[in-house]
Amino acid sequence: MDRRWAIRFAVLLEAPTNPEDVRDIEAVVRGFEASGYVLDQPLATTLFLLLRLGKPLLIEGHAGVGKTEVAKALASFLAVELIRLQCYEGLDVNTAVYEWNYQKQLLAIKIHEKMEEEEIFSPKFLLERPLLRAIRAESVSPVLLIDEIDRADEAFEAFLLELLSDFQITIPELGTMCARHRPHVILTSNRTRELSDALKRRCLYHWIDYPDFEKELEIVRVRARGVKPELSAQTVGFVQQIRGLDLSKPPGVAETLDCIHSLEALGKTRLDAAGAEATLGCIAKSVDDATKIRSEGIERILSRAAP
Amino acid sequence: MTRPDLIRFCRYLRAHGFSAGVTESLASVDALRAVESVDPAAVRWALRSSLCSSKDEWDSFDRLFDAFHSGERDAEQRPRIAGMEEPRGFWVLTGEPGEVRPTDREAATIAGASDYARLKNVDFSEVPQSDQPALDQLAQRLLKQMSWRLSRRRKLAPSRGVVDVRRTIRGNISGGGDLLKLRYKDRLRQPGRVVILLDISGSMSLYSMFLLRFAHALHRHFKRADTFVFSTRLVRIGAMLRSRKLADALKALNACPADWSGGTRIGASLREFNVRHARLLSRDTVFIILSDGWDTGNPDVLAAELASVRRRVRKVIWLNPLLGLPDYKPLTRGMAAALPHVDVFAPAHSLESLLELERHLGW
Repeated sequence: MDRRWAIRFAVLLEAPTNPEDVRDIEAVVRGFEASGYVLDQPLATTLFLLLRLGKPLLIEGHAGVGKTEVAKALASFLAVELIRLQCYEGLDVNTAVYEWNYQKQLLAIKIHEKMEEEEIFSPKFLLERPLLRAIRAESVSPVLLIDEIDRADEAFEAFLLELLSDFQITIPELGTMCARHRPHVILTSNRTRELSDALKRRCLYHWIDYPDFEKELEIVRVRARGVKPELSAQTVGFVQQIRGLDLSKPPGVAETLDCIHSLEALGKTRLDAAGAEATLGCIAKSVDDATKIRSEGIERILSRAAP
Repeated sequence: MTRPDLIRFCRYLRAHGFSAGVTESLASVDALRAVESVDPAAVRWALRSSLCSSKDEWDSFDRLFDAFHSGERDAEQRPRIAGMEEPRGFWVLTGEPGEVRPTDREAATIAGASDYARLKNVDFSEVPQSDQPALDQLAQRLLKQMSWRLSRRRKLAPSRGVVDVRRTIRGNISGGGDLLKLRYKDRLRQPGRVVILLDISGSMSLYSMFLLRFAHALHRHFKRADTFVFSTRLVRIGAMLRSRKLADALKALNACPADWSGGTRIGASLREFNVRHARLLSRDTVFIILSDGWDTGNPDVLAAELASVRRRVRKVIWLNPLLGLPDYKPLTRGMAAALPHVDVFAPAHSLESLLELERHLGW
């Protein structure tokens, strides 16, 4: 935890890393490691391309494999601001791009009896929402995270398309604003619906799969410092076995970390059947899944997970 | 990798079903240039990121990349799926649908109203050859009207929504800022999602063609529609039905490697659906199964899988063409196991019965 705070603090002080200075893929891997994100070579290559080519990146993958974390780590690596837009059904331009500050406008109209329309629709009454903020960044390119784009409606997706190709936003009352510093855009999707071809065409694509045993152990080592290696290895092995069980919601890395933290809180130093039963709620997120794991036999799964 | 090689590779991917177009080819050239000099080992990953656009493509990329580099590059004209022979067409799809010869069209106009009523109620399995084109036309027209009505109903929703502050201020500025005229905005009501599972096994073959049309009509109305066909295994055909013209859609389907007129394993197909496509289901989904319920698999599996679907969706509709028979009782093991998990159980043997469904699809 201390380390992560140190990084946050360093972000405030450090001069931002210029994407041009990222010479090779190894530099990306090292930079991400310093931000607490374990990066494999393929994803590092993709991120390198994102910085080099300035194209948006679409990340897909199961829940809890760290899609959102990529954007956070990228922002901390570059030491720039992370602007996040969480998508949901019914998200519209007014919540994503800009909104006029009506209350303030009304007040102003009341106070100054005679007001020209240009004054009412001037920048001082404008509320910036994430996308506009990303476009209007003053000094460096921020990281723009558009999270769970598959939840937004098609209409919004079409709007986004325009934004991602020109990096400009038009406000009818003010005119067109162009990005002085193009944001690094990362989109994530849980594939609840197919995205339009046009959007996919504009993006680099990366699928993040569940990590293998070694990589997951490495992630746990970096993210849950000070946990006994034996406990980590056992839990990771256990979760890896459970992923093979064909559950309706297989546990992601986030669940592994939850489980390890819970075991620690319970004062366990190694994973036994009682501990696994007690923390089953961290791993199985529905009654059916929990029943399935129990009927498979926690003891059996544990013994299979043992190296 | 040289430039011409890369272009050849893009063509090779396209021949294997990738959607990568010219834009992606150009992007891959940039990507190649960016990584080539810094790390030759990363070329594979760089190309994968720039040329793939879905998980399916992502999964098959490595195999194709290796195959291309081991010299398979000239095999561009092979069938899209390795090991697949030219797929056996489905007999009802082989005729050019919707193409009515002039004499037939004349006949259809002369026949008039009584014919219209007769065709609307005729059982799909008993349509004489000569009536086929007329029924086709009628089906297209009525289904089109149905999807049109569904979308009208949505737009004319009478309820008044919340005040649109933005437009209200805008509209009242000329009056000095007093808010005299209020502008409202209505909540945009999206049509929900439909997921259709169509049984194409042998016992359904007399109905499958018409039910496909029905699925096609629903795709016109529901942008978020998806259709699967199943007999012994599940094949996703939503993308093919999305083409505007029915004839094009059927042509594409004809080349699709589904097991037309095979046996039926509804439970296993549903299971496959739940494992691979459950993410398509949500609270605003209407789930439609078109099947006669003849299942050679285990009925318990069918019941369990259907129950799991039902927990995730708004409504499960089971359309059974056999319900049109006067003395039919849903007693087959599969059908009996499924019934407790179905919200609407309705016939689907004639146009009339399909149009009835409109009631259950409105929002």
